[in-house]
Amino acid sequence: MDHGPGKILSLKGLTKWYGEKLVLDDIDLDVYEGQIIGYIGPNGAGKSTTVKIMLGLEASYSGEVEIFGQNIKESGVSYKKRIGYVPEAADLYDNLTAREYLTFTGELYGLTADSADYKARILMGVFNLEDVYDSRISSYSKGMKQKVLLISSLLHDPDILFLDEPINGLDANSVMVFKEILAQLASQGKTIFYSSHIMEVVQKISSRILLLNDGKIVADGSFEQLRQKNKEGSLEEIFNQLTGFNEHQNLAEDFVQIVQRDHR
Amino acid sequence: MKNFTTLKILDLFRVIFERFEIDYSTMRRILQVKLTMDGRRPTTIMSQNRGGEKKQDANQFLKSLWFYAFIGLTLIPLLFIGDNFMFKMSLIFGVLMFLIMTAMISDFSSVLLDVRDQTVIGTRPVDHRTISAARAIHVSVYLFFLTAAIVSVPLVVGFVQFGVIFALLFSVTVLFSDLFIVAITALLYYVILKFFGGERLRDVINYVQIGLSFTIVIGYQVLARAFEFQGLQSSFEAAWWNVLLPPVWFGAPFAVILNGASGAYYYVFMALALLVPLIALWIYLSLLPTFEKNLLKLMDQAGPSKKKTTKGMNRLASLLTTSKEEHAFYQFAERMLKNERDLKLKIYPSLGFAIIFPFVFLYNGYSAGGSLDSITSGRMYLTIYASMMMIPGIVIMLQYSSKSKGSWIYHVTPLQSDAVIIKGTLKAFLIRLFAPVFVVISILYGFLFGIQIIPDLVIVLLIALIYSVICFRMLKGKLPFSQPLESAGQSDGWKTIPFALLIPVFGGLHFVVTNVPFGIWIYLVLLLFIVPLTWQRGLR
Repeated sequence: MDHGPGKILSLKGLTKWYGEKLVLDDIDLDVYEGQIIGYIGPNGAGKSTTVKIMLGLEASYSGEVEIFGQNIKESGVSYKKRIGYVPEAADLYDNLTAREYLTFTGELYGLTADSADYKARILMGVFNLEDVYDSRISSYSKGMKQKVLLISSLLHDPDILFLDEPINGLDANSVMVFKEILAQLASQGKTIFYSSHIMEVVQKISSRILLLNDGKIVADGSFEQLRQKNKEGSLEEIFNQLTGFNEHQNLAEDFVQIVQRDHR
Repeated sequence: MKNFTTLKILDLFRVIFERFEIDYSTMRRILQVKLTMDGRRPTTIMSQNRGGEKKQDANQFLKSLWFYAFIGLTLIPLLFIGDNFMFKMSLIFGVLMFLIMTAMISDFSSVLLDVRDQTVIGTRPVDHRTISAARAIHVSVYLFFLTAAIVSVPLVVGFVQFGVIFALLFSVTVLFSDLFIVAITALLYYVILKFFGGERLRDVINYVQIGLSFTIVIGYQVLARAFEFQGLQSSFEAAWWNVLLPPVWFGAPFAVILNGASGAYYYVFMALALLVPLIALWIYLSLLPTFEKNLLKLMDQAGPSKKKTTKGMNRLASLLTTSKEEHAFYQFAERMLKNERDLKLKIYPSLGFAIIFPFVFLYNGYSAGGSLDSITSGRMYLTIYASMMMIPGIVIMLQYSSKSKGSWIYHVTPLQSDAVIIKGTLKAFLIRLFAPVFVVISILYGFLFGIQIIPDLVIVLLIALIYSVICFRMLKGKLPFSQPLESAGQSDGWKTIPFALLIPVFGGLHFVVTNVPFGIWIYLVLLLFIVPLTWQRGLR
């Protein structure tokens, strides 16, 4: 794996319980500058939980989380100035207009209202949204909301990006623009955590792939490395193999049969 | 975004916030956003129109203040009962704190416990303390408006009548009682958040909120009994258990300063009125960071779910509904009423009122008549009509849901008419919420008045069936659970009043009928014909 010199993020023995359920099981991980990490795993594997912990949304865990060389439990909140986040469920204040929302979040990151507004307007223009800049977000389509979230996560030029299903609802053209943005950011040394269920995209854009299953990292490496190791053709097949799933045919047959069964 | 006057006033207190290590300018910015959002009506799924929505922002809450100002007028007569300030001020604070506390629990708890802030603000470089403070101030601002709306007219009247000292004293004590309520509620949530987590936590919070609303109602009744009415003269004998009634604390300063009352009790009450709010506030502010950390537990995912089905309820559902679609909506409404916490919070307290009110009326009749015999031999069982007071309030809430966007399902399914939706929902409401209350009261009344009131009780039940259909007219064709809960407001309170006034009419009619020989049997048979008719015709 090629990576820049700087270690930017490190997890040591990260463990998290939800009640009786073990969600993250003793995870160790080092992440370096310029990596695009495809963070994948089945539903409920603990992907979102890891991201929430790193963002300080989850305080009860054991183990250590170091970001920019500092333990986040001790460093206060200022490390978040250099982080951008796109949440999975499009949580945002949709009673605001895009201008109001983006200026607000920009200010929370320490930008001035004017410069946040200025940048946000131009970025909205890039995604062809300047017409609705002053309309309420609640009137937007899914893809438009997603674009607002993307802009909001990048407005302050962060060094780490956490993206949870970021292309959800985007049209094909916007996806291409977005992928190119990620590639350019990575080449400038930014680190990107890309969490998604769309394997084709992850396979294409990631420089390093992490597969999480049952709270453990079961695969870690570039796509080429994973392919050599597991002798499978695509990331999807590797994913199926490593998570021990091989009954999709049977399940699908059952499903269709049940739907067509006439019961009265 | 507007620069709100409220925020300009808040700027004067900047130093205090900074002393508590709160990032004032960030907090101010958060508040500005929150106030802006409050001014905007949430859009419903069917009224979503793309593009330029240039409607004037109007804060629903501020509009509802007229309702509170109106209630405030009812405090004025209390100012003129006798000369004993201890008595009248305790009573006034009783009403005031009752109103504020219920508003606090049902309307502002969601603000105090908002977790959406976590993903939007918590992931940005803003510390927990500042987020919490912004939230507390947000609530306080509204409480301030609310209180001002209720007390301003009584304050002016009191100023004219009793002079400037009274006015000053009143303003200060009201402020302290507000502080008391915010801090105590927040501390209560703090304790719950500390001991519970996940789904369980959400349930516990809900039960505590409902229980608290109950307690306030009962406490209010106790307060009224703490004083003995003797004509217009009312006397007050302090007793140790008065310490448990906060409104009494706030009445004490008036008695001491304006009546010249003295005694250990008065000084204890005064000290409590002054110190408890301040201490509670101080504890709350020092616990802010942990409060916020524990709040994160609300976002925890749920564990595996347990499947609960009661065969009896299912059979009842099939028995009561006439078509498959209606059955589906009955089950749906039943689940919604059972599972939607925000909705439950608005609905369940009125169930408490429904149980208590008949007995309150009964008790008042008892105090007036003097003996138990004089009640049980009369027509006092008609006080059971008071339990119907819950119907308009709850029926109007049936249109709301915190997940109202799911209502697209009504429009994509091949339904012949909306009547099945409404019938199913109404039946579920009657069985799940009204029936338990009615049965409990009926049994108690049966013991009190004897079995000969059974036909009367059946009549009341039939009237309730007709009445709920009438009340459903209030919704003006809005489908159940289809409107965002945030848009529920005090304007709904206004709408229910004319419908509530029908209840005494029904009661009066019943009273007249009991004086006619065989009247109630004829009335009963008549109603048996009217009920199916209203359910068929009235729900179009």
